[in-house]
Amino acid sequence: MDPECSQLLPALCAVLADPRQPVADDTCLEKLLDWFKTIADAGSSLLLLQENPCLVTLLCPVLKPQDLSPRVLAFLLRLAGILAAQEDCFQHLQQGDLLPRLFGEAGPLGGAAWTAPTVRSGWIQGLCSLTQHPSALCFLAHSGAVDTIFSLQGDSSLFVASAAGQLLVHILGLSMQAPAEGHPSLQPAHWPACAQKIVGHIEESLRATATPQVTQALNVLTTMFSHCHDPWTQVLWVHLSPLVACLLEKDPVPAAHSLVDLLLSVARSPVLSSSSCGLWDTLAQTLSRLRASQAGPLALGILKLQECPKALRAQAFAVLLQPLTCVLEATTQAPGLPGSVGGTADAPLTAGMLLPSKAACVGLLCQTLAHLELLQPLPQRPSPWPWAPLLSAAVTILRLCNGSATPTSDTGTHLCAFLAGCVRVQRAALDFLGTLSQGTGPQELVTQVFAILLEYLTSPDSSPTVLKKAFQATLQWLQSSPKPSGGGDLEPHAQLFLRELLPVLPKRLCSPCWDVRDSGLEFLTQTVRRWGGQAGFRHALLASEVPELTEQLLRDPESYVRASAVAAMGQLSSRGLHIIPASPGHPGAQQKSLLEELLHILSTDSEGFPRRAVMQVFTQWLRDSHADVAADTEHFVARVLRVASQDLDWEVRAQGLELALVFLEQTLGQPSSSCPYAMTPPAAAPPSLVAQALQPFCRVQLFDFAFRALFDCDRPVAQKSCDLLLFLRAKTASYSDQQGSSSGPDVASLEAALQRWQAGDQGQPLGDLEPEAVVAVLRSLDLEGLRGALAESSDHAEQSPLSLLQDMLATAGILGENEADCY
Amino acid sequence: MPEIRVTPLGAGQDVGRSCILVSIGGKNVMLDCGMHMGFNDDRRFPDFSYITRNGRLTDFLDCVIISHFHLDHCGALPYFSEMVGYDGPIYMTHPTQAICPILLEDYRKIAVDKKGEANFFTSQMIKDCMKKVVAVHLHQTVQVDDELEIKAYYAGHVLGAAMFQIKVGSESVVYTGDYNMTPDRHLGAAWIDKCRPNLLITESTYATTIRDSKRCRERDFLKKVHEAVERGGKVLIPVFALGRAQELCILLETFWERMNLKAPIYFSTGLTEKANHYYKLFITWTNQKIRKTFVQRNMFEFKHIKAFDRAFADNPGPMVVFATPGMLHAGQSLQIFRKWAGNEKNMVIMPGYCVQGTVGHKILSGQRKLEMEGRQVLEVKMQVEYMSFSAHADAKGIMQLVGQAEPENVLLVHGEAKKMEFLKQKIEQEFRVNCYMPANGETVTLPTSPSIPVGISLGLLKREMAQGLLPDAKKPRLLHGTLIMKDSNFRLVSSEQALKELGLAEHQLRFTCRVHLHDPRKEQETALRVYSHLKSVLKDHCVQHLPDGSVTVESILIQAAAHSEDPGTKVLLVSWTYQDEELGSYLTSLLKKGLPQGAT
Repeated sequence: MDPECSQLLPALCAVLADPRQPVADDTCLEKLLDWFKTIADAGSSLLLLQENPCLVTLLCPVLKPQDLSPRVLAFLLRLAGILAAQEDCFQHLQQGDLLPRLFGEAGPLGGAAWTAPTVRSGWIQGLCSLTQHPSALCFLAHSGAVDTIFSLQGDSSLFVASAAGQLLVHILGLSMQAPAEGHPSLQPAHWPACAQKIVGHIEESLRATATPQVTQALNVLTTMFSHCHDPWTQVLWVHLSPLVACLLEKDPVPAAHSLVDLLLSVARSPVLSSSSCGLWDTLAQTLSRLRASQAGPLALGILKLQECPKALRAQAFAVLLQPLTCVLEATTQAPGLPGSVGGTADAPLTAGMLLPSKAACVGLLCQTLAHLELLQPLPQRPSPWPWAPLLSAAVTILRLCNGSATPTSDTGTHLCAFLAGCVRVQRAALDFLGTLSQGTGPQELVTQVFAILLEYLTSPDSSPTVLKKAFQATLQWLQSSPKPSGGGDLEPHAQLFLRELLPVLPKRLCSPCWDVRDSGLEFLTQTVRRWGGQAGFRHALLASEVPELTEQLLRDPESYVRASAVAAMGQLSSRGLHIIPASPGHPGAQQKSLLEELLHILSTDSEGFPRRAVMQVFTQWLRDSHADVAADTEHFVARVLRVASQDLDWEVRAQGLELALVFLEQTLGQPSSSCPYAMTPPAAAPPSLVAQALQPFCRVQLFDFAFRALFDCDRPVAQKSCDLLLFLRAKTASYSDQQGSSSGPDVASLEAALQRWQAGDQGQPLGDLEPEAVVAVLRSLDLEGLRGALAESSDHAEQSPLSLLQDMLATAGILGENEADCY
Repeated sequence: MPEIRVTPLGAGQDVGRSCILVSIGGKNVMLDCGMHMGFNDDRRFPDFSYITRNGRLTDFLDCVIISHFHLDHCGALPYFSEMVGYDGPIYMTHPTQAICPILLEDYRKIAVDKKGEANFFTSQMIKDCMKKVVAVHLHQTVQVDDELEIKAYYAGHVLGAAMFQIKVGSESVVYTGDYNMTPDRHLGAAWIDKCRPNLLITESTYATTIRDSKRCRERDFLKKVHEAVERGGKVLIPVFALGRAQELCILLETFWERMNLKAPIYFSTGLTEKANHYYKLFITWTNQKIRKTFVQRNMFEFKHIKAFDRAFADNPGPMVVFATPGMLHAGQSLQIFRKWAGNEKNMVIMPGYCVQGTVGHKILSGQRKLEMEGRQVLEVKMQVEYMSFSAHADAKGIMQLVGQAEPENVLLVHGEAKKMEFLKQKIEQEFRVNCYMPANGETVTLPTSPSIPVGISLGLLKREMAQGLLPDAKKPRLLHGTLIMKDSNFRLVSSEQALKELGLAEHQLRFTCRVHLHDPRKEQETALRVYSHLKSVLKDHCVQHLPDGSVTVESILIQAAAHSEDPGTKVLLVSWTYQDEELGSYLTSLLKKGLPQGAT
């Protein structure tokens, strides 16, 4: 422990032990525990106690829990647990009889403090930390703590109940560690007493008639089989599985959700799944016993397993697909989905099961679509994957939702009534449809997909969130659309679709909802990035109102939309898809005006997002040597840097430095590049050549910006500047070696300015700089040291243990004044 | 048994990261999704694993409602929607939707870029999250789905803050978020109608406090600023971008105008312009005075408050600067503080709460030697003042709101346990309702007895009217009919209509009785004697002797049979419908008296 902290600790312990001095901030105690945990993990807790006897004194007031506030009491219980995690320290505390009085009946357990969930939680967490060695197990056995933990499983606080379950698993694991090293006994009756007690409790709970008790037992087992893969867990499962199987005989099956979790955790366990232990039969039986909404997650879990019998996988897949089969049947389509023909599934889902109520129908369909979406990208998904029927089902659901499907059966009519206008199902179906773009389907179905997407994109009834999903799905389908054998252009269907879509896009760009306009612009940016070079698309786009509207959106009242419009215009311009110049006499006039417009946004927009978007576009333009930039790069960089360096948003300033770095790299070459055309000063370049190489940077006032940014109040800006200057110094190293000592009036004034800036005075500009002075200052600056200091996060000092102790001590005295406040 | 269940994941007996789960009528709603500014790790967010264990989040939760833009109420939202995976609807008011991203963005910048934290949400995530928001108007009933509806009420506190009523069928819960029952310089007082919810979930920050008049605090604030400026000092007021800052700006602007002061007032990082934009846009959310004067003069177009430039901090002479962030933990406010801290003429006024670890917290706790980055020690000689301008209802205000809404139960959140305990007793005594104060993770379950709406058929009403009784709202009246459930609706109709609609035939309910009669004659003769006797007694009724030997009087049927054991006794089987119950009873009692000797 830091000596400064060690000095403050007794005072802090005195404050904590004094009930008249409440601790101001909950977070302080948490952070204090974090610190003790770090110290204990790094060294000896016993030594910590011996060197800081105030800690033992601090633990003593727990013996009078009524005097302490619940949170301090909980803190002390947790602290004792952390310290007693090491066996020697545990013995030390035992000698003082402290632990039984903390965690036993004599402690808070029997008192009024126990009613506070914080104290119960602290008690459990303390025990959990402490239970790390055999002595702790003996202590638990003798103190009767295990029985208390059993009762806390049903605690009114979710947090306490859950922690109690985890602690049981932890104790069971630890008590089985010693015997498990050899061969596990086949009979839990021969297991250690503590383990027997816990297993007995689990058995009893599994036999209980009350569902909460069954749930608790199942949750404990789930946690255990998920985290512990020792051989003895197999013995335990063999022992308990008949009881679990008995649950399936009840109607309804109790705690179905927890049961599914347990069976899947067992199936995932490498120890258990390999030997099966009747597990697959239980899983098959469970699949057929549960309701559709409960069986879905189990089916998905089974299908995600790496190893599993084929028949079970087939059954699970059939269960998962049942709702979609039902939809296809209801709309008199041949389902063609596995398990749907001839009723091979154990419990084929009838329309009645899907249609008891709108809420059930919507819930089940959303769940199924989400499960299939999760399953599809996995390598272990069922093969062959029924692309076509799934596509058909997704399209049908979307049609039922927008009312374009014509139901021919009663079930279909019901479905139509339930799903019409249902945004939840629309969103889920569009997500799934987008995922299905990864596969192949018959052309007829693909045509249907594009048709339904167009319907959604066109429909005035589509909600903003549905539209966003429709745009995403569309983009996915367009991207996966195969290129025609001739190459070059888009596949004819996709091309036709895009041509039909472009007249729709303007409507979306004029939507009164900002999110719709924004989604439209994001879609446009992506499509232009992807197909901006293809003739068909270019032609259709230029013939539409889209470019003009996009430009208008640069002045949108919503800043997010302005930022997206900037990105879209940047992309359009890069692809030469910006509006054709109005006057043939002034070629390029419009292009110039876009640059001016973006510069105008950069200088005047009141929000950060559009200004940042402009900087991204400009940096990209510089990288891609955009025509307007290439015409006079230096002039362009100078103008942008002048504005960006003054920006109030530090992300814009940081991006300004990024643009400056690109400019540097383009002029001087990449840090380790061997580009033959770059103007890199050779190893022993004459000073005049280096000075010449640096002149452009002086002219664009890059150094003024970079040096000033070095002391920016926002750390990322300073870091960026530091990196930039280090890069520059590496490039000019040979030159500065030749120069010898740095002196001269320029250097002195520059250094003086830097000192002023470092002191926080930002007022004075640098004026014209000479390259020689820059090189000299670069050499004299401790840039590595600065980079090291900046690499530490800004709050490393404020969040240090010393700072924490000082704050807690300082707050103790003045608490009354500021106690009740928040934002 | 229907019930309402409430589980706070945050704000249960504490202040910070408000997040309350409510289950009502089978629907699950999350109220607020806040973060704790005092933590730099996962503990800053509510523990959502308690929801995810119920399956997919989007399937489990029907909606998320955000009460206002403060980070302890919305700071975890992008994490929840973009990283944990919630893809359902999020409801908040229009101003909250507009301002939320600014504060989230500010916090993201500090967390990710300044502190170098990984695994934090990005700008794009904030935008994607905001696209899931459905903005609502005050008093607009929004249908989340067929059964669940929500409605926003004005809460004061900050621009756009709202209380929400959540309703499923006849069950309802009101969640107040943070609210203020007294108007301030720029906002009005919270208000809710007498909606009588099953449960009112209310904040209780100032559960035991009766706050002094805000006027006193304002006067004190102005006095201190004025004194510092008069002695040539510089005043730094660290603030968060939107909210308290605007209130203080109005205060200073008015004071400067009145006193004709010349010292400049600055507001950092271009926020005045942004704030003005939002206050203009949402002028209806401000208080009456601002709305009234808006036509002549926009209160948010300040004459004395100018945009701050970093270079101004070094200008000689007095000045007042509002700078962000509010806890002096980074950025411009910290930079100016470092510059001015060494001069005892200067002053820093902290108008709000600061979490541990920030410079704001340190100076408020009286520390005067601060270790800054690079082991530098900064000596604070400037005057440090704390003035709470947080706009929460005090104990009186909370009681007032409970009185306004008339809930059946009250549940306290967003406060300290000890203070809640006091308020709980007060509420229970004064309003005779149950009051709860669950800790985080504790579930409160309230059984409800929902009233079921029943429609009455026109035919039935017309029949009632035909009886000449006009409906009177003040006098409840009994109405007889048949209750039928059709298409999940209850209706009260006449029994004939019920039979017709349900396609059922009417059942006949008959009472039967055996009367023993001493008569040695044959059964037919006994029946004839009964006929003659009744014919003579019941002159106004239709008495018939049927060919099968039985006798009828209206719907009453009488048959004579021999006694199985006593040949001298005959048994009369009398049966009648419930419509003729009176006559049936009369006849039975008549027959029990025996037949007159002379009857043949």
